[in-house]
Order: sequence, then C-alpha cells, then structure tokens
Amino acid sequence: MAEPLVVEFKDVVKDGKGKQLGPINLHFPAGYVTALVGSNGAGKSTILQMIMRCILPNEGTISWFGYPSDQLSMEIRSQICYISELPCSEEDYMTGAEVESFRSELYPLWDQQRFQVLIKQFEVPLHEKLNRISKGERRKFEIICALAARPKLLILDEPTAGLDPFAWREMIKVLQTAMEQEELSIILSTHIVEEIKRLADYIVLVHRGRVLGKVEKDTLYGAWQRVWVKGMTGEQLQQADVQLCEEEGAGLHKVTVRESELQSLLAKLEDVQIVKQESLDIEEVLKLWIDGQQP
Amino acid sequence: MWIPIQINEHSTEPLYAQIEVQLRSLIVSGQIEEGTLLPSIREFAGSLSCSVITVRRVYQDLENEGLLRTKQGTGTFVAKVGNEERDEYKRVAVNEALELAVDKGRSLQYSAEELKALFMEIINRKYS
Repeated sequence: MAEPLVVEFKDVVKDGKGKQLGPINLHFPAGYVTALVGSNGAGKSTILQMIMRCILPNEGTISWFGYPSDQLSMEIRSQICYISELPCSEEDYMTGAEVESFRSELYPLWDQQRFQVLIKQFEVPLHEKLNRISKGERRKFEIICALAARPKLLILDEPTAGLDPFAWREMIKVLQTAMEQEELSIILSTHIVEEIKRLADYIVLVHRGRVLGKVEKDTLYGAWQRVWVKGMTGEQLQQADVQLCEEEGAGLHKVTVRESELQSLLAKLEDVQIVKQESLDIEEVLKLWIDGQQP
Repeated sequence: MWIPIQINEHSTEPLYAQIEVQLRSLIVSGQIEEGTLLPSIREFAGSLSCSVITVRRVYQDLENEGLLRTKQGTGTFVAKVGNEERDEYKRVAVNEALELAVDKGRSLQYSAEELKALFMEIINRKYS
C-alpha cells in the first residue's frame, strides 16, 4: 500500500484470562482520525495499550511509522502521546504547573505557548494538586498536555469521558484544528456516536476480541436501507431471501436490506409497492455489523 | 465561513452527492460569492459529520468543474462563474423541478388541461 501508515498490526494476538484478542491485522493511515468502536470489554483499550507497548502481544508484530518494535527509539516515542482511561496516579499529588515543567523536559517539541493558551481557554486550574481538581478538568488537562507535546500520533482512550457538552464541543474543535495545521494522526476509542460523526474518518469495529473490519466512515451512510412494502405476504418475502423483515400490520412489511442488494430484491418481488424508504443511521449500521451483518 | 448545507442521514441519496449538489447550487446560484474562502477540509468535514475523504472528493470534483480553485497554503476559493453557465444551471434546476411536478400530476391522473389551469393559477397568484 502506498498510503503512509502510522501504526501497523501484523497477526497480533494477545491472550487474556479466558479470552483471546486477535489475530489482528490493521493499518492506521497517517493524517486521519481512526476510531475504534465496540461494546464494553471488546478489546479496544487493550489494542491502544499494545500500540503504546504498555501491554506486549503474545504473537505478531506492531510497527510505528514503519519501524518495528525493537527499533522504537526515544525520538519516535516522544512523537506519540497517549491518554489512558484513567489518569496517571504518579501525577496525582503534583500541580498542573509542576506537571508542565516535568513533561516539557521529556518532549523536545514542547509548545509552552500552546499549553498556556489552551489552559486559559478551558479554564483549568494550574496551582492545585491534580487529585483536587474535578474529573472533567483533569481530562482537559491531560488532552492539553498531549497537544502541547506536538505529537505526530495521538492515542486517546475515550478522550471526552467526563467532559461537559460545551467543553466537549470545544475540545473536538481543538482536535480538528490541530489535525489541520500539523502532521498529526489520531487513533481513539469511543462509545459516543456524535464523536464518531464529528471526528472520525475511518471506523474500526471491535467485537469480543476480534476486529470485524475497518471502513471509511462515510460508506456507512446509506449502506443499509429500510423499506416499507405493501402487497406482499411474509412467505413471499421469505421466498425472496429477505432476512431482516418485520410485519408492521395493515399489510405492511418493514424490510431492512443492503443498498447494494435492494435493486435485485425488488426485481424478484414483482408486484411490490414501496410505501416509504430511508437509510439507516450510523448507529444502526454498526449494530447490524456487530450482529454479523457486514455493511 | 458557515456554508448552509443540510445533510439528511436518512436520505437514500449518498452523502457525498448530497454535499456536492448543494455546494454546487450555492456557488452557481451566486449565494456564495466569487472569491469566498471555503472552510478547510477538516473543519467542513467536522461540521457536516462526514470524513475528510468525502469533502476532499467534493472539492476536487468542483475544482475540476471550474467552480473552485485551490491556492497552495491558503485554501479553497470560489471561482468566477460565467453568466452563461449560471443561466444554464438555473434552467436545468427549474426544469427538473417542473418535470417532478408534472410527473406528480400525471401519477394522480390529472389531464394536461387541468395541469395547465392549475399552473396558471399558481403563476398568477405568485407573480401578482
């Protein structure tokens, strides 16, 4: 593939207690936002932690910007920032200002000005110990610190959990602006459909330790159609291989079908009358996918 | 700059087509003036809830049609639309709407005479 990659998974397997994650084969393209989506316990956080080498895989290889794991130099590491689900407890008793001076030593590209601007914008207190500020403020602080390091790759585990809706909106904007102005790629995990819609370019669906696939987000819009049809019996629809069908009363049936298969289905059902047709939204398409119906 | 484009997630028309058709219409109809700087690809994608891949494709298509031009490092601007193009575009858009209206009339068994009468009535009311 000619497209530059930030991270690549090759046959990666991680064994856990009674569950296995993988084998995973995944490419994360540079310059895009890739969202890991899936139910609780699906393996999203583990995938992110493997990217960070907080968890090492039992099998397979992961490479960063084309370099395999045994060549992950300090220089590359300083270009990757990770925000975990829970903040780092070692910093609990430090103030924001202390953390800033500590981290600015670690990251050669530390942007003090950006740090100050964002701290002001999001009204994060700098002179209180981090375990004394609110959960949302801590979250904002972590994201601001990550951006101040001017990373090339930002890994965010449910980045906006705990943010109020106004701060959330602002934070999404800040991330978008950073994507625009810099050579930045983002990999994030999320449950929030609105976050996927506003931020993601690619979606990776993870379910029960398996990666079900990676798609360009916009191909999900319109991938499935819901059609209300009249003049057909349930048996007739069954004979035409309609899998997802519900009776709606008054001679109506609600049929859910892939956009790509709709025309051939209608050709099979000669006297069918379409009462209404609409596209399924992203949430519904993802749910179908988890249930085994690929988009 | 905010661009009044309305996405309908439940529409059967593909997302990319919805954006392209609306943006083209805003430009050709003159609602977005020549020289206007359009939002950056990432910003526009965010406000439309689509991916940058889609917006890039729309900008590329409209640039190929000569409706947009991109200046390296500055952004994407609305190009000059010729009067002829504008008139042609208007004609096509109105024609399309009228065809739809006539089809509707036919499907409800209106005769040509009845349609004409109704059409004139609407014209007289709206243009008086």
